[in-house]
Amino acid sequence: MAAAAAQHLSGHDAIAARYRDVDPVYGETRDIRLLGFVFFLLSDCILFSSFIFAYVYLRISAPAWPPFLGGHQLPWFDTSFAAMNSIVLFGSGVTMHFALENWKHLNKAKFNGWLIATIVLGIGFLLGQAHEYSVVGISWTGTTMGASFFTLTGMHGFHVFAGVCYLTILGLQANRGTYTGSKYFGLTAGTLYWHFVDVIWVFLFFLFYIW
Amino acid sequence: MQAGTSTTHEAHDAHDHIHPPPEGFVRKYVFSLDHKVIGFQYFFTGLLIMFIAGSFAELVRLQLTDPNGAIMSHTAYNEMFSMHGTAMVWLVLIPLVTGALGNFVMPLQIGARDVAFPWLNMASFWILPVAALILFSSMLWGGPHAGWTEYPPISLADGTAGALWCLAIFTIGISSTMTGLNFMVTIMKMRAPGMTWTRMPLFIWATFATALMNMVATVALSVAVGALFLEHVFSVPFFDPARGGSVVLYQHMFWFYSHPAVYIFIIPAFGVVSEVLPTFARKPIFGYKMIAFSSMAISILAFTVWMHHMFPSGIAPWLQLPFMILTYAIGIPTGIKIFSWMATIWGGRIHFTSSMLYALGFLITFTFGGLSGIFLASVPVDLHMHGTVFVVGHFHYVVAGGAVMGFLAAVPYWYPKATGRMLNERLAQLGFWLFFIGLNGTFLPMHWLGLEGMPRRTATYAGFAKAFPDAVFWNQFETAFSFLMAAAIGLLAFNVIWSLRHGTLAGINPWGARTLEWTISSPPPYYNFKKIPQVFDRPYNFDQPLPYRNTDNELDEFPEFGRVLMPIPQPVGAGA
Amino acid sequence: MFQSPSVVRFKGLGPGFWPVTIVLALLSIANAWYFLYGNIDWIMPGASQPVADRASDIDGLFKFMAVSSGAIMIFVAGYVIYFAIAFRARPTDSPDTIGVQIHDSPKLELWWTVLPALLLILLTALSINVWYKIYFGTKAPALTMEVIGHQFYFEFRYPGLKTSVFSKTEPMHLPVGVPVRLLITSTDVIHQFWVPEIRLKSAGVPGLVQSLNFTPLRTGTYDIACAEFCGADHSLMRGKLVIEPVATFNKWLDSENKTAAAGGGAINLAGGSAGTGKTLFAQKCAACHNNPPTPFDQKLVGPGLLHITDDPAHPTLVTGKTPTPEHIAEILQNGFTGPIGTMPNRQANGLSDKDIANAVAYLTSLK
Repeated sequence: MAAAAAQHLSGHDAIAARYRDVDPVYGETRDIRLLGFVFFLLSDCILFSSFIFAYVYLRISAPAWPPFLGGHQLPWFDTSFAAMNSIVLFGSGVTMHFALENWKHLNKAKFNGWLIATIVLGIGFLLGQAHEYSVVGISWTGTTMGASFFTLTGMHGFHVFAGVCYLTILGLQANRGTYTGSKYFGLTAGTLYWHFVDVIWVFLFFLFYIW
Repeated sequence: MQAGTSTTHEAHDAHDHIHPPPEGFVRKYVFSLDHKVIGFQYFFTGLLIMFIAGSFAELVRLQLTDPNGAIMSHTAYNEMFSMHGTAMVWLVLIPLVTGALGNFVMPLQIGARDVAFPWLNMASFWILPVAALILFSSMLWGGPHAGWTEYPPISLADGTAGALWCLAIFTIGISSTMTGLNFMVTIMKMRAPGMTWTRMPLFIWATFATALMNMVATVALSVAVGALFLEHVFSVPFFDPARGGSVVLYQHMFWFYSHPAVYIFIIPAFGVVSEVLPTFARKPIFGYKMIAFSSMAISILAFTVWMHHMFPSGIAPWLQLPFMILTYAIGIPTGIKIFSWMATIWGGRIHFTSSMLYALGFLITFTFGGLSGIFLASVPVDLHMHGTVFVVGHFHYVVAGGAVMGFLAAVPYWYPKATGRMLNERLAQLGFWLFFIGLNGTFLPMHWLGLEGMPRRTATYAGFAKAFPDAVFWNQFETAFSFLMAAAIGLLAFNVIWSLRHGTLAGINPWGARTLEWTISSPPPYYNFKKIPQVFDRPYNFDQPLPYRNTDNELDEFPEFGRVLMPIPQPVGAGA
Repeated sequence: MFQSPSVVRFKGLGPGFWPVTIVLALLSIANAWYFLYGNIDWIMPGASQPVADRASDIDGLFKFMAVSSGAIMIFVAGYVIYFAIAFRARPTDSPDTIGVQIHDSPKLELWWTVLPALLLILLTALSINVWYKIYFGTKAPALTMEVIGHQFYFEFRYPGLKTSVFSKTEPMHLPVGVPVRLLITSTDVIHQFWVPEIRLKSAGVPGLVQSLNFTPLRTGTYDIACAEFCGADHSLMRGKLVIEPVATFNKWLDSENKTAAAGGGAINLAGGSAGTGKTLFAQKCAACHNNPPTPFDQKLVGPGLLHITDDPAHPTLVTGKTPTPEHIAEILQNGFTGPIGTMPNRQANGLSDKDIANAVAYLTSLK
């Protein structure tokens, strides 16, 4: 199987090729885990898209948006604050990218720095969200707007929170020597997950703050 | 995850390395990582819940022997049919056809030592009994009353029981998603060398198509019941019209999953039939590529037809048309399959084992269920038939006459491989006739009762019986025949347990079948393949030697390989 | 070592293939004959004498499907049984006998892809034709009425009738030969209004109005059933529909009106208190109308009522009448169903004469 798999290598898969050179068994295991992780992200993506479908459906079929509650039209969200908070989250995607690149180039000190920056920015985003929740002026149970907003951003916030925990664990593992310069699938998965959370936010930001 | 990946790691290691066997009762039989043991666990759990959910169905049928309701109150009746549907769909059919069959057969047929993520597999299984406990415990709070679909706003009246229902379905949804993910990766990455996509057995194609739907659609279901749960517990207004929510939205979200769910039951049954028919007709499957292609076509089209459940339920008329047309489009790949199976048995040399009887019965009952589906897919005709017992008849022909018949064909077929002994053939054949006659007697009269005007989910039908007095006779007729089906399932359970001890020894390949699992001993060792085999052709060419190299044993030690024989008892694990 | 197995031999398509095919064809023809010319009233009640114009269209479609899918069923089941018998293994076979080794036949597979596809395209065309008639075929209904589902009865509202007809106590009446439009909705859970003989059904969905259009063709009494599970007594949610000549129908409508007048009478709007009306509005109306009232377009479920008497963009009420106190009171009394939504009548809302007077006083005081 190892030999058969190696025959299918293509040019763009150079990093995987390096693993296989070092340890063909690890190469295959990595492929399997990577595919599984991508599928996990795909099904997670459907989780968000189903709720987004519900939001779009409710919004399109509503007679007025934002809806009325008790005779008053609800306010729009504060786009400028959310935009700043988004920059914090997207910035953390950039720092995570640098963290992984530094690990690949065996620069552990810089890796630690970038990873800590990522975690700090992630926590910053969560604090921003907490602030947003406290000032947004709508409730979860009052209208469909609140229901969609709190459910979707709450789920996303939970993903960010889980991501912060995940990255912290990865950082501890990396410093304990769980990963090496050629075997670091956990870090790849963590980076993928973090980018995935960023991409979801792009959609949520557009749907709630721009549309 | 760590231990899980290390197992796959070894499963893919150089061919001589096999990890040490599991030790201790708990490791071997309870929290086992072995896909075969997990398959048994799914099988017995599913069968047990089938008895409970089946007895609910019998209570429903007994109630309808009298037009005024024979045995219970309306509320109790509503609870019974809701629990029957819920338990059968999520806790019986999906665990049996994907969990039990997929787990036991799929890694063996692709020449793998286990699935990609054994730990995930174990977790998927253990979610099932938890979800079952949550679901059945909801009966302590009065149980769900709104049918297996639990449409709001009526389901919101169920209170705690409704919330527990949502929780149970959410939980089992997670299990299905994980199984789907696991099987996708296993099939894509862990096939034996040389087993290209077009050399896979058709059961693997079916499992792949099913896993795709499990992975994608089940999440949408989790969202639908998750939102319903939020509405139950926190009063979040997704579906409350007074606060701007939409009750039709739930139906969209629910059916986006639940239509593919029907194919999640039926496509593994297609796979089973595609294995059983060639084996017992001693003929290659006819049109391999078209059958494989049509499985994938059905699983992709399955995502595009959900609104045909909602034609009269509040969608715009112009939206009905694309969904009617797409639903008809599914008729084409399904037709291709039926005709290909007919062509497979044409010119064969057919051995009437119980598996084959079930597969042949499947061809008839499933075709009937498919054709009544064509009626329901047409918007105008559906406006008459929607919500009647015609629909009940239709989907029971598809589910019981399709998915369950396929499953019942699979049990005697793979039982020898799983246990090393043959299922008692005489009892299994008796079971087939009971089931086949009971199925038709129970569900055929529903078609004309529905067309005459009998709505489904009615605890009494005195008003309807006044206009159509024959309804009483036909309902009693259905109840009588439904007990034949129950007897068939009881007989199967007895047979499965009795044959564990008393069955004839099976040997490696009792049916003369040609897929990879029949090249290793029965039951297979925990590592499945001592050496990972190499595959150089499709498995169905009966005039050729088996298309495998590097199997456990040299081929010529087993003269039955590559030839076809009726069952010849052999010592267990001969030569393995 | 591997030995070539012995392949079974037979002539043509198998022993007795053509006679079996002819028998199956005859059975299919008999099936077609039965559905086209036989009396199928026991399957499709009223098929021989259609009760409504759409019923005959739908029956035509049903017959086409019964004929074509009946033929498919007969051939599939017949061939499966025939193949199973004709190609069964014989006790005299040597153990390695196998079937003919055919793998595929592109020509045959093309046929059984294309032919069903053509049949389904034809079926789609026929279905779309009937679908168009159902939803867009009735241009100008002579009678537009409302059907409202409740747990566990239907409420029928006729134009000009001050009180509703309830399926629990009275049958629904429709005039024969007149195009009717039913506007269907619900106030609690989802129901489905279904008259099997008319072949049409539509869900009453809370917060949504759907319509059914047809022309009754035959007088008689027919059953109405709820076809969507709606709660404990769903099975008892039934009613009767009386289709009668126009004259009889009008007489019935008149007699209903007289009974209503005797029971209710015209409401005296004088002396309504806007202050009491405001409290009442908060209690009974705010579930669907914004409170405090908003302009018309700012809807909750129903429209905003702030400028009900002086909105230049909406000079008339939703009923199309001028916004006088009497016409507002009419809506409160009778309720309203239209494209904009459904408002329950006074019985459903529990409004007394005094309440209506107070509410009208409050609404007209809004500027």
